[in-house]
Amino acid sequence: MKTFNILLVANAKQFVREKAALFWTFIFPIFFILIFGAVFSGGDDITFNVGLVVEDDSAVAQNMSVALGQVSAFDLTLGQRADEMKALEDGDRRAVIVVNNGFGESIAQGQMANVDVYYDPAQTSSSQILLPIIQKVIDNFDRALSGSTPLIQINEETLQSHNLRAIDYLVPGILAMALMQLGLFAVAPIVVDRENKVLKRLGATPLRRSTMITSTVVFNLIVAVVQAALIIIVARLVFDVPMLGNWFYLAGFIVLGTLTFLAMGYMLSAFAKNQQTLMPLIMIVQFPMMFLSGIFFPLEMMPGFMRPIMDAMPLTYLGDSLRQIMVESSALHSHVINLAVLGGWFVVCLILAVRFFKWE
Amino acid sequence: MKAVIKVDHLRKSYKDIKAVNDISFRVYEGEIFGMLGPNGAGKTTTMEIVEGIRKADSGRVMVLGVDVRKHPRQVKANIGVQLQTTSLYPRLSVREVMALFASFYPKSASIDKLIKLVDLEDSRKKRCKNLSGGQQQRLSIALALVNNPKVLFLDEPTSGLDPQSRHNIWNMIEYVRSKGKSVFITTHYMEEAQRLCDRVAIIDYGKIIATDKPDKLVSQHFQEEAIEFELNQQLGDDVLRGVAGVTNVVQENGKVTVYSSAVPVTVSALLDLAKQRGFELTNLYVRRATLEDVFLKLTGRRIRE
Repeated sequence: MKTFNILLVANAKQFVREKAALFWTFIFPIFFILIFGAVFSGGDDITFNVGLVVEDDSAVAQNMSVALGQVSAFDLTLGQRADEMKALEDGDRRAVIVVNNGFGESIAQGQMANVDVYYDPAQTSSSQILLPIIQKVIDNFDRALSGSTPLIQINEETLQSHNLRAIDYLVPGILAMALMQLGLFAVAPIVVDRENKVLKRLGATPLRRSTMITSTVVFNLIVAVVQAALIIIVARLVFDVPMLGNWFYLAGFIVLGTLTFLAMGYMLSAFAKNQQTLMPLIMIVQFPMMFLSGIFFPLEMMPGFMRPIMDAMPLTYLGDSLRQIMVESSALHSHVINLAVLGGWFVVCLILAVRFFKWE
Repeated sequence: MKAVIKVDHLRKSYKDIKAVNDISFRVYEGEIFGMLGPNGAGKTTTMEIVEGIRKADSGRVMVLGVDVRKHPRQVKANIGVQLQTTSLYPRLSVREVMALFASFYPKSASIDKLIKLVDLEDSRKKRCKNLSGGQQQRLSIALALVNNPKVLFLDEPTSGLDPQSRHNIWNMIEYVRSKGKSVFITTHYMEEAQRLCDRVAIIDYGKIIATDKPDKLVSQHFQEEAIEFELNQQLGDDVLRGVAGVTNVVQENGKVTVYSSAVPVTVSALLDLAKQRGFELTNLYVRRATLEDVFLKLTGRRIRE
């Protein structure tokens, strides 16, 4: 364990002291996001288009619509449920508030009355800014109405939008791409060490190869997590890109993705004599994946004859799952299929790497 | 004397080339044992098999009483190894690399003392990539000593170094021996073998052709001294052999070495012969026989062309 820790720290020191590696790992993906984000994103809304559907003709309901109409941040449109929901789906409304039939009656009887709020979770501003405002307005209204016991309850209804912003689509893909590059390039130092006979020198010590490899893998997983956190935070702060799903799933796919591409990197290094032959090999593998895995644009936009290639690439599946988890995009495949394909690639690469990797 | 390394009938081939062809030898406790031979003679292959980083085709190697093939990690824990060329972790400092290597062993020597021993105190925080060739070599010796090994393996430790650095390293090796450790060293430098080694094995084409103390090897093969000169025309060996006092003749690339037990007689006879036949003798000098001459006599070639 002592050896493992010291190896890990030595790995970290070498990594931090290599300016180029730091740039490619942390700065480059952020750069990508900032540039694409700036290209794709329009100006921010100051007022929110909010649809209001009142299906109850009681005086209470009328009063509430007046109260909502007085909120300056809302550009309120009164309409029918069907029309407003369609407008929400089309992205013309940020939220739709529905005062259900029977609302006034419930209040008159002192029972809980429901107000439904529909919004698009992919737009974080909806949940972060809109919902608290709506909540506040209705709370005030409620308190004025009943005095003490709150009678109006807000049901938040999320609505799956198939109209993701380009940046929402892009960020999980860039994360996947960054993990791929991390994994593939992580083997370069090992090939250099082999060339410089460092591996041979280590072979003359009692250090176990398994300890050495484990420490490299663990170190790269740590880098992957830091890298992912950085990408998610910057995307969130600058472009409001949400992280809607389960953090546990997200971490799981980040780890599996990194492991898969690490195994692929080891496999490539097994077939490369030295660094000069490794680099082109990595390029040959990574460029098709970058452009044919739906990282930058949805796969539906690609010509059909490319489909088999896209369907074979592990990055397609990693990107798909990360996108589903982060921005709840529509799924290309289920998580189970994505897991299976990534796992399959991992196992195949690992077997080839173990079989063909040379220590000298 | 106790043998720390026992090698018996070692063989190793690469395709058709017999790199190591039935080699047997012993290295005893507290001695510096040198393997002397030209590049490609099989020195490094032999050494790496003994270190446990290369597998032999056949033969048996015992290091400190342990079979290397069966328990390589146990052997590695108790030996110190310096490889011919190692550029170590360019972005780690001297001290960091030392600490890293120390962590590979169950027990380690004092890193600061070792840094002092190899005279790297002023460079302890220097990154390895900024070290000079001599400093790197000294660092790799310090790394080989980090586990306080009983046997030290040095593969051409002074190769490519300037005379000053070479002498420094020789002093370090002698210091290590004075601490009771055994040293197994390969070299293709005659001076190094002669000056440093307690015993030398001369190796050529994967075979050991002689093993003994350097002085004994010389005196065993030569009672005479060597006279070297260059000629401006070809002369047959038989002509030179006929010169008074000459016992042996080696001609190579216009350079002639004759061995004589009566140098004054031979030199004057040579000069007479030159006058008589009208050729010129240049760059003539007389020296005592060395290991180089032994190698030349045994193989007909010089170690360094």
